[in-house]
Amino acid sequence: MGGVIVGGWEFVWAAYGVSLVVLLLYSVSVHTRYKAEMDRGSAPGDKADGR
Amino acid sequence: MTDKAGPGAFDAPTVRTGLLPYAWLGLGAALLLWGSWWGLFRAPRETYMGDVQRIMYVHVPTAWNALLALTFAFVCALLSLFRGGFQWDARLEAAMEVGVALSALLCMQGSLWAKPTWGVWWDWDPRLTTTAVMLFAFAGILALRRFVDDPVRRATWSAAAAIVASVNVPLVYFSVRWWNSLHQLQSTPQTVSSAFHWPLRINAFGMLFLMTGLIGLRTRVAALRIRSELAPPPPEVAAAALAPASASVGASAGPSAGPSAGPSARPSVREAR
Repeated sequence: MGGVIVGGWEFVWAAYGVSLVVLLLYSVSVHTRYKAEMDRGSAPGDKADGR
Repeated sequence: MTDKAGPGAFDAPTVRTGLLPYAWLGLGAALLLWGSWWGLFRAPRETYMGDVQRIMYVHVPTAWNALLALTFAFVCALLSLFRGGFQWDARLEAAMEVGVALSALLCMQGSLWAKPTWGVWWDWDPRLTTTAVMLFAFAGILALRRFVDDPVRRATWSAAAAIVASVNVPLVYFSVRWWNSLHQLQSTPQTVSSAFHWPLRINAFGMLFLMTGLIGLRTRVAALRIRSELAPPPPEVAAAALAPASASVGASAGPSAGPSAGPSARPSVREAR
């Protein structure tokens, strides 16, 4: 009491867990979409147009 | 961009295929793991908030980088609108999506910090409200982009919309100073005890590198999609599309009325190929 928060580790773990899951899933999603676009055959071998 | 690019000129975006974004992602992930370990197990407990304050080590870097990504989106929107070129449109799409993802994560982390400290998961105070407006404004632009087929029109209006939505970004940052807010002031080295600096800084750079890698990789996705939109259809598809028209015109149309009159004969296609 007295304006001091005691405990609360479950909120800390939840915040770190949510961060890990969101960042991991989003990174995998971007990587998967990148690979899918490359596999569609629209990818150039290197920098397109030589620019 | 090319030397041909001027106001309103649109070139097909370039697509790089190196491993640089993955290097940024790896470096960012490593720093985030290190900084989070420090924040969770080595940093001292805060006097009033106790262990709950450890959420700061992920929440504040997420906030900084969400605002940074959307500020970058604003720059991309300006350059896309005034310099032209799909490269900036691809970067705009990437920066907006990464900014929206980080903003959504920011709101979730904030709720988990608000509940034990404020007693509520959410409050319509200026900081939280402006953040929610920012999140939904950019998410809306991203959603509406999917409904516009013409790449030039899509690039133009989404750049204009992103500039309008970006007005809210400084409001998010300064809201805690300009208005009476339940949210605490910005966490900076001046407002945070020196005992908490290191894990905060490590995670801030980790999130920055992660964001850089994600924007780089997502830019490639957008650029590849734009390139496939601009590419002329395969010869058999173009021939099939032209067949009914040439049949109705008759044999006089000849081969000269072929691909150049097809549906893909956009100026940007010729310039790009």
